[in-house]
Order: sequence, then structure tokens, then C-alpha cells
Amino acid sequence: MHSISREMEEKYINQHPILSAKDVVIKFNLRGHTLTAIREASLDLYEGESLAIVGESGSGKSVFVKSFMGLLDKNGWVDSGTINYKGYDLGKFKTEKEWLRIRGKEIAMVFQDPMTALNPLKTIGKQILEAVELHQGLRGQEAKNTVLEILRDVGISNPMVRYNQYPHEFSGGMRQRVVIAISIACSPRILICDEPTTALDVTIQAQIIQLLKNLQKKYKLTIIYITHDLGVVAKVADRIGVMYAGDIVEIGTSEEVFYNPQHPYTWALLSSLPQLGIKGEPLYSIKGTPPNLFNEIRGDAFAPRNPRALKIDFELRPPYFSVSPTHRAKTWLLDPRAPKVEPPEAIKKLREQWGSECCGK
Amino acid sequence: MLKYSLKRLGQSVITLFIVITIVFLLMRLMPEEGYFGQGYEKLDPIQRETILKNLGLRDPIYVQLGRFYRDLIRGNLGVSIVYRPRVPVAEILKAKIPYSLYFGLGAITLSLLAGISLGILMARSKGKFWDRIGTGYVVFINAVPAAVYYLFLQLYVTNILKLPILFKENNPVSWILPLVSMSLGSTASYAMWMRRYMVDELNKDYILLARAKGLSNKTIMVRHVFRNAFVPMAQYLPMSILLVIAGSIYIESLYSIPGMGGLLVDAIQRQDNPLVQALVLIYSSLSIAGLFIGDILMAIFDPRIKLENHGGAR
Repeated sequence: MHSISREMEEKYINQHPILSAKDVVIKFNLRGHTLTAIREASLDLYEGESLAIVGESGSGKSVFVKSFMGLLDKNGWVDSGTINYKGYDLGKFKTEKEWLRIRGKEIAMVFQDPMTALNPLKTIGKQILEAVELHQGLRGQEAKNTVLEILRDVGISNPMVRYNQYPHEFSGGMRQRVVIAISIACSPRILICDEPTTALDVTIQAQIIQLLKNLQKKYKLTIIYITHDLGVVAKVADRIGVMYAGDIVEIGTSEEVFYNPQHPYTWALLSSLPQLGIKGEPLYSIKGTPPNLFNEIRGDAFAPRNPRALKIDFELRPPYFSVSPTHRAKTWLLDPRAPKVEPPEAIKKLREQWGSECCGK
Repeated sequence: MLKYSLKRLGQSVITLFIVITIVFLLMRLMPEEGYFGQGYEKLDPIQRETILKNLGLRDPIYVQLGRFYRDLIRGNLGVSIVYRPRVPVAEILKAKIPYSLYFGLGAITLSLLAGISLGILMARSKGKFWDRIGTGYVVFINAVPAAVYYLFLQLYVTNILKLPILFKENNPVSWILPLVSMSLGSTASYAMWMRRYMVDELNKDYILLARAKGLSNKTIMVRHVFRNAFVPMAQYLPMSILLVIAGSIYIESLYSIPGMGGLLVDAIQRQDNPLVQALVLIYSSLSIAGLFIGDILMAIFDPRIKLENHGGAR
């Protein structure tokens, strides 16, 4: 086994998760039809880690984490499963009063589009102050000082002046800093970043990612990143969960998922990275479209798009198979009875790289 | 802020100037028979000429216009020529303005309160019972000619509620129906727009952030949604003034209220130029003032409205 991954394992092996979602099913009612957005997804979140959830649009990344905060749209609900946090089952929460114990104070969120996430008619100082007053119980000058300190922490220069300015006086990147400041001001334990850099240009993306990393250290945050940008994932994530059609099909440490992927969907996802393309050959892309979530899905949801699918993939849904104590995937390929299936070229190359790195040490 | 206000004020004055000039010129295009009232048949052409000349109507149009502005600046609105000959217009109006003022302000206040409350109620129960009732009301008011429901109110509601059918100054109950009738139109438009802006705001991303922050729905409603939805409402203030004026013209004669509304129709029919000009001056000042106040309110509440011309911060 690889040395770095052994360190990682030790980091996780004796820890209790601070948030644990088990077999969560989330349904939506859409024009009289019921759609199953999350199909028995499970996830453990450990104190202080950065977990990235990746997957294509519509795979249910946002919906899944929004259910941790009771922010599902009105037509959606947690149908079954449990979300344990501090002895509460968040999946059973119904009333606003219950959720107000969690929102902000325990779990806060950074949204995708900073251009619309701020109230245009309130100074940014006031908007951060609201969170400080609500969650840190401070008032007056003390509260204002805290706001100014947070503004400084998120890298906004001249906070005294900025405090009294309105969102339209800020650029996109600066606004995202303000949105981050608001979530930090709640002093949460868990911070959910829902595609925090998608709406920003590349140079700003790097800054925001660095900022989040710094804040994680300073405020001892546990961060869930939701993204479909694998570049971001590589920079920030300790662990990666790969989501497809409302389920986490593979989860492991960042290294395990990147260099030793097991699920055919992860293979396909990584193969479509331009960096792994082979010169002269067309870039790989996954054929077909994700399944229609209005229908019940039989077997492995990815099977219809998977050229290497086994017969059983169409019949029976695979359970989790462990690859290492920190790495598991839902694919029949890991069953001891499964025939040997060759992964795509790009994945083989990744495994080789991992191997050689290992031997070089 | 001051610079913006002054600029808007200047624009308002120019608009007012244009409006009264147009009305002045239009009045001069009307047939001359109107100036003689009932006695037209009995006068011979020479007498008619003399009368017109004495009224100053035979002077070149720019002389007439100049005279009109000169008098206006001195605060002289002229004398009535047909309605009550040789009585100063100011005196005629002095007796009438209070009624129109009370009814107008009353109706605007009433419609503001009722319309905005109804709008909030509709937005909060979007797609449910109160929203449907409110929408029904708004559609009814917009689809049915005002005269129909004014008459309906006067004929049937007075009967059902045992309210007096005509206005009597010292009977406070007789104020109710005219006030309600006048405010119905703008109540409907306030409710419609308030609902629309509230729903708009509720669907915006910052509401989600506010919820994620841990604010209760009530706090979000009061601190974020209501305020933000109220800003664009400011622009409907002038429209509501116009609706009330339009309503008052009909309603005042319906309930025989001795206000200005009935007077305008009368004065136009009888071609009492100075009286018409004075009334138009009052009405257009009111609507232009409404526009002005609406803009200033918007600028106060919305920091994004740039007060001076140094490009945006985007």
C-alpha cells in the first residue's frame, strides 16, 4: 500500500463522523409526478476535512447537501434515511424552528453566484452584521468590530470604507469574498461551498480557493465542496465523493479516487479530462445522457452508458465494496466473482503513475 | 442627492410648462361659438367681434400666450369668462379645492394602505385562496369600465348598507362611498404590483443566502423582502394620483360633491379658457409632483440609482 494513503487512513480510521447521512432518499413533486433525486445516498463527514462531491449537472450534488440545511425547494422532501448531526436526525426536521438551530450556527453555505447572492439594497456591513448578531450574540460596536475583522480575514482591504458600501460597488470576486464573510460570520462548524468558483474567472478562482483553505485553518472548518471542476477538487479536497444519478458511487481519499478509481463512471469522468487525453486522438466523452429520475432505476444507474457493463449491472444494484478502509465503490466489478475487466487506457496510465511514484519513494 | 433632486425638479418644471402651453393652444383651436353661451343667436357679427376683442382673443396667439405667462407668474389666474363671468378664477377654485383635496388625499391614503396590505397577503398565500380572491378583484377592476362599478356601488351598496346616496358635507357617513369608489382603481394596481414585486424578491438568490444564514422567514420578510419590494412601488405613486383624479371627475358629479372634478368637464364644455387653464395647471402639477416624489423616493431607497454621471461600479 502507498505511504501517503496510509497516513490518510490513520487520519480517518479512529474518527467519528460529525455528520453522517445514511441511505438518504429525497423526492420531488413535479407537475403531479414524483421524481427521486437522491437514491439511498450515504456519506460520512469528518471533523476538519475537506470533502469534495463531484458529478455532472443534475446528479443531485446540490440537492443532497441542501437537505443538510433544510433548504430544499418547497416541492422536495427527505423521504427516508437519516442525517445524523449532534444527535439530531436532520432528515426528520420539519418546522422552521428546528432548522434555525442548524442553519448558520452549525452549517453555513456559500453559493454559486455572488452577483445575485447579496441583497442589493443593504450595505455589505449590515448583511454581515446580521449574521454576527444572530449567531455570535454581539451587539453595537463590538459586533461591528467583529465584522471588520472578518472582512479583513476574507481579504477585503480598507474594511472601514467597504463596510458602508453596497454590493453593486463590488466586483464578482469581491462579492464572493463577502458571501464567504457572511458564512464565516455565522461561525459554523461545517461550511458547504456550492460551486464557489463556477461563476468567477480563472485568476479569481485560484484566489478564492486559497482563501477558503486559509479560513478553514483559522476557523477550524469542515468544508464540503460541490463542484464539477476536477481542477478545483485536486487543489482542495482531502476526500472525494463521486456522485451519479443521486447516489455516491465511489468515495475515497483524493489520491485513491484520482489514481486508483474503481467505478466505471469515475473511469469515464477522469478519461474525459483533457490532461489525460492521448495526443492525436479525439478527447473522450461519455456517451448517452443521465437516466430519467422520474423512472425507477434498476441495477447500476450507469450501466446503460457503460460499454464494459456486466449483465448483472442491469439487474441488481451493486452494494459498496471496500477497496481500502477509506475507499469504497458501488460496482459489481469489485465482486470477487466478477470477470476481469480492463479499465480504459487513461486510467491504466494513472495507476502506473501512482505505482512509480510509490516505488520512487 | 441635492444635484439629482434639482435636476429632476428642473425637468418637472419644463414638463409642466409644455403641458400648459399645449392645453392653452388647444383651447384656442376650439370653435368660437362656445364663448357666447346661450345668447349666441341673438348677437350680430359686430357685437360678437367686440366681445371676442374684449376677451383678448383677437390678438396674435403669441401675444395671448405671453400675457397668460405674465399673469401666471404674478399669481393671477385670470377671470372666468362664461362659467361665472368676471369672477376671478382663484376665487371660484378656492371654494372647491378643499373638497377635492380631502377626497383625493383620503383616496390615495386608503388605496396605499389597502393595496399594499392586499398585495402582501396575496404574495404570502401565492396560488392559494387569498391570492385567487385578490387576482379576481384586480382583473375585475381592470376589465370592467369604472363607471359600471361606480354606479353599482352608488345604486346597490347604498341600499344594502343604508348609506346616503348623495354627499352631504356634515354627514360623515356620506363620505365613505365616494372615498371607497375613488380608491378602488389604484388599490387594485397597488395590490397587483406589490404582489408581483414581493414574489420576484422571494425568488431571488439572496433570500436563499438569508435563509442559509439562519434568519427566520418572518425576519427575512420584514428586513429583506418587504423593503426591496417597496422600492419599485414608489414609481406607482404618480399613477395612483392620476387614477384618483380621473375617478374624482366622475365620482364628484355622481355624488354631487362640490369639488373641482365636476368643474373641469363643465368648463371645457363652455369654453371658459382661463378656468380650464387653471384646472389643468393644478392637475398636471399634481401628477408631475407625484412623478417627482416617486423618483426622489426611489433614489433615497435604492443606492444603485446613480445620482451623478460617473459611470457605474460594475
